[in-house]
Amino acid sequence: MQRLASAIVTLWLLATIVFLIVNVLPGDVGRKILGPFAPKEDVAAFNHRLGTDRTVIAQYLTSIRRVFTLDFGDSYQSGQKVTDIILPALFRSGKLALLAFVLTIPISIAAGIFAARRKDKFADRVVVNVGLASSSIPEFVTAAVLLSVFCVNWKLGEVFANPPAGTSVIGQFRYLLTPAMAMVIAYFGYIARMTRAGVIGGLQSDYARTATMKGLSKGTVMRSHILRNALAPTITVISVQVGYLFGGIIGVEKVFNYAGLGSTMLTAVGAKDIPVLQGAVLLVGIIYMMSTLLADLLIAYLNPRVRLEKTR
Amino acid sequence: MSDLGTSAVTGPEAETGGFETEIGGSAPGPVISERKQARRESWRLIRRRPSFIIGSAIVSIWVVCAILGNRITPHHPLDFRAKDSSGLPALHLSPRAAFPFGTDATGRDVLSRVMAGARDVLKIAPMAAILGVLLGVIVGMIMGYLGGWVDLVLSRIVEAFLALPVVLIALLAITTLGRSDWVVVGVVAVLFTPVVARTVRSAVLAERDLDYVTSARLRGETGRFVMFREILPNVSGPIIVELTVRIGYAVFTVATLSFLGAGPPPPSPDWGAQVSEGFRVLGAGIWWTTLFPALAIASLVIAVNLIADSVQSVLDAS
Repeated sequence: MQRLASAIVTLWLLATIVFLIVNVLPGDVGRKILGPFAPKEDVAAFNHRLGTDRTVIAQYLTSIRRVFTLDFGDSYQSGQKVTDIILPALFRSGKLALLAFVLTIPISIAAGIFAARRKDKFADRVVVNVGLASSSIPEFVTAAVLLSVFCVNWKLGEVFANPPAGTSVIGQFRYLLTPAMAMVIAYFGYIARMTRAGVIGGLQSDYARTATMKGLSKGTVMRSHILRNALAPTITVISVQVGYLFGGIIGVEKVFNYAGLGSTMLTAVGAKDIPVLQGAVLLVGIIYMMSTLLADLLIAYLNPRVRLEKTR
Repeated sequence: MSDLGTSAVTGPEAETGGFETEIGGSAPGPVISERKQARRESWRLIRRRPSFIIGSAIVSIWVVCAILGNRITPHHPLDFRAKDSSGLPALHLSPRAAFPFGTDATGRDVLSRVMAGARDVLKIAPMAAILGVLLGVIVGMIMGYLGGWVDLVLSRIVEAFLALPVVLIALLAITTLGRSDWVVVGVVAVLFTPVVARTVRSAVLAERDLDYVTSARLRGETGRFVMFREILPNVSGPIIVELTVRIGYAVFTVATLSFLGAGPPPPSPDWGAQVSEGFRVLGAGIWWTTLFPALAIASLVIAVNLIADSVQSVLDAS
């Protein structure tokens, strides 16, 4: 309950930050969009239609209300409702992101456990350094390199990630695999390093020693004792990545010409379509908050100690 | 920032000299030399790490390219009149002796552009990181030292900022403010502030209740003095780590922004802009206009992160 209240406060602050950024420069929105030669009356009518002729306070209140009702107003450019533009785009980005996570999470958790078991050995150093390097390269760079190697030279994937209408789920996979790989490479490092640190801590712990001395097999100790504890920080990192993913996905979508949220935002940038941009940014903020909330619940479920603390 | 960190004499014992000597940094005593020695020792440890040596070698190459620019490039980075051996305009030439990285869509030498392009990113990214850390230190120091409702309110704001991916919100801000180098520096710096503030805050919390802080307060020093003359030098370790990490992120962010179109305008040889010009012809098998600037970005980010990693492992251990 307290967690929910703080989420609402964060959401309000989020909307305020975005509002401040958009309104930091006082300016005539209608004039900016219609250009310097548009007649005065048209500009006034345009501003009235957008609601940008009202006081700043009134506009602020509207924008706060909109966050909580998930209604981000109308696009400057097409006049369509912003939600009608960004939600389908979000759905397409979501497919790509989901595929990326479905691939990343098992690979990187396995790599983390593998490295932790061989702490300070050669294999461990390889995992750690590859993870460090791969997560520090911008996603669009990885995407461009993968595109030139896999899709152009080896013809293993599609240059354009948009599957033709009516492609089956399996068929779409072929289109989305290479862009998803770019994201796997970007997020692999963080998650693997977090898992590795958690497992190393767990291997050295008293409870793991007790469990081993009790006669449990190595696998059981790892699964039901160490991982349960080690995964908490890993889950937190994953939930944070869900939000940050939308920063990186823009570049990936641009490289592969994929019509997701990122491409929609880039079009909006080109057209100075502020409501669409604003809506997309807020939507991503909301997704981030929901994913961290979910992660907290999951951690509480995995770890009885956290659960107890909450109810106490 | 390093000015504040090094000029201030610290530690409870050093205070016996009073305010004057404090500022002058001339107060003698074992504490100062000990601190200097510790600093020299960690610097020596950092310099010895292979990751630091590799990282700084790569960074140095790019810094030389950035400073000398078209004085050392084989061709002029903006010269689009490159000719092949038969005297025809050399558009999209594949890599060869005269053009080791090939030429781009207008016949410019890709190698020259990659070398000259170091300037754009190395001009903006470190500045954004330094400004961001500076702001973050101030905010984090206030949060940690004052505590109470100030900390509560600022923590909430920091949390809200962290819910927004830097690239997205930077794109929104650059769209509304209009693009210029200073806007990019300012926006990235402001977006880095909350993360730095959070780190500094937790470092300050660990120091706040120590005896030297209490004694300075009892002496009647102002809050500003206690924060920036007493506590700051003692939390310089995490701040230096944060700065190196932030420079890496700044290169990452600035390169991504310029790939997305919020970089320097077209004739500029900026790396992100080059990738964004080049990737559309990848499908036609012209890979060199994309691959080389992309590798340049990757090498710089990895090099900065190698440095950050070695600084972090030495300073965190001590």
